Amino acid sequence: MNVAQGFSPAIAQTPANATLTAVPGIKVGHHTLTERPTGCTVVLIESGATAGVDVRGAAPATRDTDLLSPSKMVEQIFGVALSGGSLFGLATVDGVLRHLEARNIGIVYGNRHIPIVPGASIFDLGVGDASVRPTADCGYRAAQAATDAPVKEGSVGAGAGATLGKISGMARAMKSGVGTAAIAMPDGLIVAALVIANPLGDVIDPATGAIVAGVRNANGRGFADARKIVRAGTPRGRLGDNSTIGVIATNAKLTKAQASYLAQLTDDGYARAIWPIHTMVDGDTVFAIATGSKPGDPDMIAIGALAADVMATAVIRAATQATGLPSLPAVRDLK
Amino acid sequence: MKRLALSLTCAAILSAVLKPCAACVAVAKSFSPAIAQTPANATLTAVDGIKVGSVTLPGGTTGCTVILVDGEGVPGGVSQRGGAPGTRETDLLSPLNMVDKVNAVVLSGGSAFGLDAATGTSKWLEEHNIGWDVRIAKVPIVPAAILFDLPIGQNAKNHPGADCGYKAVAAATTDPVAMGTIGAGAGATVGKMGGPGTSMKGGLGSAAMRMPDGLVVAAIVAVNAAGDIVDPDTGKVIAGARAADGSFADARTLLRSGALMRRRAATPRAVENTTIGLVATNAKLTKAEVSRMALMADDGYARAIFPSHTMGDGDTVFSLATGRWNGTADVSLIGALAADAMAKALVQAVTQATGLPNIPAVRDLRK
Repeated sequence: MNVAQGFSPAIAQTPANATLTAVPGIKVGHHTLTERPTGCTVVLIESGATAGVDVRGAAPATRDTDLLSPSKMVEQIFGVALSGGSLFGLATVDGVLRHLEARNIGIVYGNRHIPIVPGASIFDLGVGDASVRPTADCGYRAAQAATDAPVKEGSVGAGAGATLGKISGMARAMKSGVGTAAIAMPDGLIVAALVIANPLGDVIDPATGAIVAGVRNANGRGFADARKIVRAGTPRGRLGDNSTIGVIATNAKLTKAQASYLAQLTDDGYARAIWPIHTMVDGDTVFAIATGSKPGDPDMIAIGALAADVMATAVIRAATQATGLPSLPAVRDLK
Repeated sequence: MKRLALSLTCAAILSAVLKPCAACVAVAKSFSPAIAQTPANATLTAVDGIKVGSVTLPGGTTGCTVILVDGEGVPGGVSQRGGAPGTRETDLLSPLNMVDKVNAVVLSGGSAFGLDAATGTSKWLEEHNIGWDVRIAKVPIVPAAILFDLPIGQNAKNHPGADCGYKAVAAATTDPVAMGTIGAGAGATVGKMGGPGTSMKGGLGSAAMRMPDGLVVAAIVAVNAAGDIVDPDTGKVIAGARAADGSFADARTLLRSGALMRRRAATPRAVENTTIGLVATNAKLTKAEVSRMALMADDGYARAIFPSHTMGDGDTVFSLATGRWNGTADVSLIGALAADAMAKALVQAVTQATGLPNIPAVRDLRK
């Protein structure tokens, strides 16, 4: 049978800027701490955007996610703060609020502006000195550094302390980081993703089923394969310190309910590119942002399917673009 | 299939020489079970305490499948992520709500009409004095979900009703689950992203895994997806929309070519879908844990169906934990295995299906 080999773009384009900032109106900034590998990554939408969220992992660290429910009042957000530092890192949101308020960005309330900035954090306290965490200062600096230039990937910002492949413990884990990807359709639709991949599981290429990065064999050569490890019996002890957090953005005009649904569909990208995912020790979260600069009725089936694919690509890039640390090699170190 | 074949070889060697299966591990190239076994009964009924019965309506193009819990009810959960669901008694499965015992789950064709099948299942359970004890009666707890198969055969005027649900639960056994074009999967189709006349036959599939310590995790599914069925081991399409030359069009390619959006702009309806399934384990889980198991099993849909959970799919996964195994297992690992069992069940559903006129099955393409 003539089985289609791979699924390379036929007409859809990878834009020149193949990162989250390919969506007009979106800026991204990183700040990486010098004391230990951790930091924060801030997404700004200064003119506001419709948004949604999907929290599917069982150990989330999030802030202002409830207001994203379609049944709640607030219709627009102005930024998303992603950080290391576990729940301590949620303080980075405070710095983003300070940055935006000083620029009169946010929901107008009397003569004040209230910037709406949801946030989520990964657990990276096991990488270096756990007392060092991103603070409001980190969020402020990342917001100030935000631009619409192509987003820097790898071991920066919120991904500085990210790791993956932890099902057999940190000694056999690998370094991860920030990944991003974008796709542009001929009709002007743009869908882009940014992710801090810090999963318990391995990163898999859904196009082939092959492991991109994950638990290394005890001899340090090759991958042990989390799928085999789980089948070989129940791993004992602590399952590691995790969470994959990300943002999907589009220039389509979506309702708040559609943005929530888009976040859910994007989570399928996590499912395809990470094994296992959504475990009790992963706080997996996806924020969805719709800037609405492209008019017309959105095709939710196409946007949702593209979103899951772009997110899967971003997860793979988070692994392949990372830089290793001592005893935590990255994909490029294995070559 | 490669994994299945390898693990069967594994089992054969085990039974032949009664030695640990180290040789198999060495030769396994992909991620075939190292120690985990595919049980002799590699279907949902490998889980102790679970019975399954299917009834196919005359004409063979719709029907229902009932998963019966033997004895008292057990904790159940649900993950409902598709955009066009047809469900019954799913709200009570929320961990916040009181009832923590499920007696049966009904999967049915017939769109919203098919939910009536649960009425018949409830009647049978009441006759057998099974249900949630409210002193003046026993109320059978029977969550249900349907798939949309009305365009197949004469189903628009002939959908599974209470009679189907009654007969299916009465027929439920612990035998290996019959798969393919049967029960809730009789009218199921897949690969509907390529336009009229390019889809393929879906069906009912099941798979099971047994861990060395006795933990069993298994899945059953009636796949009627808008999307293609993809083997997560290889990334290749197994069943899906066909191109003019008979090859797979590949929904991922259609999506990127803009063809999908152009076709949808012309005919925006995409409601003739929905994948409904259930995962079960013999582990003892709380209601919150069994809910997490359903959520993680849903990742099996994401991996084996492209695209999954669309606005035209009412994708739903139920879960049951019979608690008949006394060991302990982390729910994250049960969930990870449940996702893999579900992906394998989806592959089984299309490879075991038999075609209908103008709707070929995988086995028809191999001829």
